[in-house]
Amino acid sequence: MPGITYFDLRHVTGQITHIDIDNGVFESAGTTFFNKAVLRVISNAGWGILQIDNYQPCTGKKFDELLQRACKLSAITQELVSLGDVPRGMLTVPAMKEDPRSVSIEEKSAILSEIEKGAVHPSVVNRRANYIERIEQVEFSDSSGNEYSYEMCRSGFNVLAVASQNGNTQMGYEREHSIHGFNLRHQQDLGKKAAEIAVALLGAKSAHGGKMKAILDPELAGVFAHEAVGHASEGDLIQEGNSVLKGKTGQKIGNDLLTIVDDPGIHEFGFDPVDSEGVAVRRTEIIKNGVVNAFLHNRESLAAIGHGVAGHARAMPGEPPLVRMSNTFIEAGDATDPEIFEECKNGIYLKGSRGGQVDPGRGVFQFNAEYGYIVKNGECTGMVRDVSISGDILTTLHNIALCGKNRKMSPGYCGKGGQSVPVSDGAPTILLCDAVVGGSGMD
Amino acid sequence: MGLQQFFFVMRWWAAVEWIDQLIKKGLKSVDEVEIFYVEGRSVSADLKQKKINLASASEDCGLGIRTVHKGRIGSSSTNDPLNWSECLDAAIASGHLATSLPWEVLPGTQAISHTPLTFDSSMKIEPDSALALLEQMLAGAEEHKAEVTAGSAGLSTASVTLANSRGIHYTDNHTGVSLSLEAIHKQSTGYEFDHSSFMEKVDPFHVGERATFFAHESAEGKEIPTGNYEILLSPLAYAELLGGTFIPALNGRNVHAGRSKFSQSLGESVADPMISMYDDPLLVGADGSVSWDAEGMPTHRIDFIKNGVLNAFAYDLKTAYRYGKTSTASAVRSGYGGSPGIGHHNFVVDGKRSTITDERVVYVHSVVGAHTANPMSGEFSVELSNAFWMNDGEFEEPIRSAMLSGNVFSLHNEVLGLSHESRSIGPLILPSVKINKQRIIGK
Repeated sequence: MPGITYFDLRHVTGQITHIDIDNGVFESAGTTFFNKAVLRVISNAGWGILQIDNYQPCTGKKFDELLQRACKLSAITQELVSLGDVPRGMLTVPAMKEDPRSVSIEEKSAILSEIEKGAVHPSVVNRRANYIERIEQVEFSDSSGNEYSYEMCRSGFNVLAVASQNGNTQMGYEREHSIHGFNLRHQQDLGKKAAEIAVALLGAKSAHGGKMKAILDPELAGVFAHEAVGHASEGDLIQEGNSVLKGKTGQKIGNDLLTIVDDPGIHEFGFDPVDSEGVAVRRTEIIKNGVVNAFLHNRESLAAIGHGVAGHARAMPGEPPLVRMSNTFIEAGDATDPEIFEECKNGIYLKGSRGGQVDPGRGVFQFNAEYGYIVKNGECTGMVRDVSISGDILTTLHNIALCGKNRKMSPGYCGKGGQSVPVSDGAPTILLCDAVVGGSGMD
Repeated sequence: MGLQQFFFVMRWWAAVEWIDQLIKKGLKSVDEVEIFYVEGRSVSADLKQKKINLASASEDCGLGIRTVHKGRIGSSSTNDPLNWSECLDAAIASGHLATSLPWEVLPGTQAISHTPLTFDSSMKIEPDSALALLEQMLAGAEEHKAEVTAGSAGLSTASVTLANSRGIHYTDNHTGVSLSLEAIHKQSTGYEFDHSSFMEKVDPFHVGERATFFAHESAEGKEIPTGNYEILLSPLAYAELLGGTFIPALNGRNVHAGRSKFSQSLGESVADPMISMYDDPLLVGADGSVSWDAEGMPTHRIDFIKNGVLNAFAYDLKTAYRYGKTSTASAVRSGYGGSPGIGHHNFVVDGKRSTITDERVVYVHSVVGAHTANPMSGEFSVELSNAFWMNDGEFEEPIRSAMLSGNVFSLHNEVLGLSHESRSIGPLILPSVKINKQRIIGK
């Protein structure tokens, strides 16, 4: 079609099944259906993007009409968009151990109910358990003749326990989400664990704010990698000039022992067999031995600024792809847990996370731990709650003194540009020196 | 304009027929049926630095069905309304799984105004409208020395129809315009936004000017020592802290489930006597104004907190029937999916206004990581963003980096004053608040 130099279409259909149990009551359960597509064209200068609800695959004149409409939108664009050359290919989606579709919703409800009942405790005033199962059929095609299609299923559950005593209300929250199929079976202990944490937090104190040594458990250290490095390495932000890592390729911003990777190809919750622009996914070492090594890219940011790897474009159904993380982690080191506690000696041991946030242009990040323990003489002592850490991207990474031997990944969702995509973060246990810890506790 | 209204009329009459059929079919299996149908379209354009990089458009529609049978509530949704029959079957099946709860009836037709409260007939949902808004923002951005990194302008319109088996057949039209701009100066970022249902109520020049102002003025900030300070939270920073903690604690469902700090506090003092909080769904010109809630109940003002005393909670029908209360017409839907839940329309913090900038205070424009606050206990520790020493209403000196730690609930007992002016932040209408003795952790 005249004037159009490129187009692609990503069509996603699927269904979402959910179950919500609140204090033993089945609040809701059922299945919903969706069908969304996004058509992108480059014409005039930049992108014209049509988001199409309930897309019916079409060819010929009908498809040309859609192209024309997208083309018309691009008339107001001013920036000349180029796309980088990229490798093609699609990974195999790992087979599920048990397909959730083979389990009736009644059976799922019964198993989830057992997990929720696991949180029963005299001090627990509310228990809530949710199951979510999302099955997507994805079809991608572009004007260069690339075509991919695959099906992905992500399923999992959350269980919340709320404990209350004399006006003090605390919560414990556990979750497991997977791409490997139905994962509700044999998980009753997580309900119990949520209750135990909520009850223990009733007796925890607020942390004292200030600079100290902090030991981060693998889940929290993963969030640290995500917030401190991952977002700032996203090529679209670098291209906009909104990241402190712009122009820092080859510079040392962390210790030799620090390597941070994003890899959409590993079989964790952020797995993509092919990215949302039909590009082959690859492991990207963002930080290699403390040095800024490679940025995460889509085709546009790769062409605009280079220094990195494409295959990191991701999108919610019907939304335009953005540069996103997938499975982000700090590589394991060689320290044992006793060595980490001994080296810390006096400080704080932090566990779990409700997430974090970063201002990549300013280079400042914050992330939160659900709870922790004061470390005295290398031993965990009193429990503390609601602890956050903030830091500067360009200086804090030098303060990672030790990395443990065992890396563990945790599933989650990451928000950017109004879109939420499944990710996993992970790390070994790490020791962070001079951590700026926020807490309202005072002597 | 005329053509647009004609479009709505045509679709509405087309919709009545299948909606009636759907309700009739549903009533063969269940006691009550509720239909929520939305169709809308939107246009937006994004800047990459100062050039328009993409323009996008969407047209979407969605159908949400809720069924009630002997106290069992079922729901399903689809974005293919032609498949309403399948969707109805899924809703009824979902009801079979739900626990039977106390239920009376869906509301019937009542005398309410059907004049649209959030519809601007002059708004043109066209790429050229977005282009004009972006140009005005960029003109405003020229006022201060900072680089624009990204920006966006979007316009939308939607028609919402609610029908039920008790005879309700309401429809309402909405429009919306939203703007945002991001800027950077050295290693300092600025962000500003605006939104309204009415074109004349947004000020794109001001959005651009404020974004580059904060980027420029925040550069080369000084450290602040750890200590307790009087702080002034801007409406944005206040909204960020309130949103995930204080407001959910006023939700009747959370109150009765034990998930609210306020579960046992009705009639007690929960804030300084100068503070009142209410939902006013009929505020002229406010974005969240509606005559009927998502279940068709006529809306009215709800005084949650009157002069510091907790006075009321928000209820939808399901929660009201369950706990022997009355619906406060607080049912909202975030889209066509799922069931209605408890929310608010225009949440206002009000009280005696005064000049609160006459003494030296720490001004906090926004915070990083507010979503990590503990939703049960209200405890938070967040990073400051665009913070300044302010004296006599003037920005004196930027603060480079620090954390603010405290408790969203208890800080309402330390309020020293509310500003004369209020601002809309999403569905919240808030003043700036001056607060005594808040913990700041310097670096």
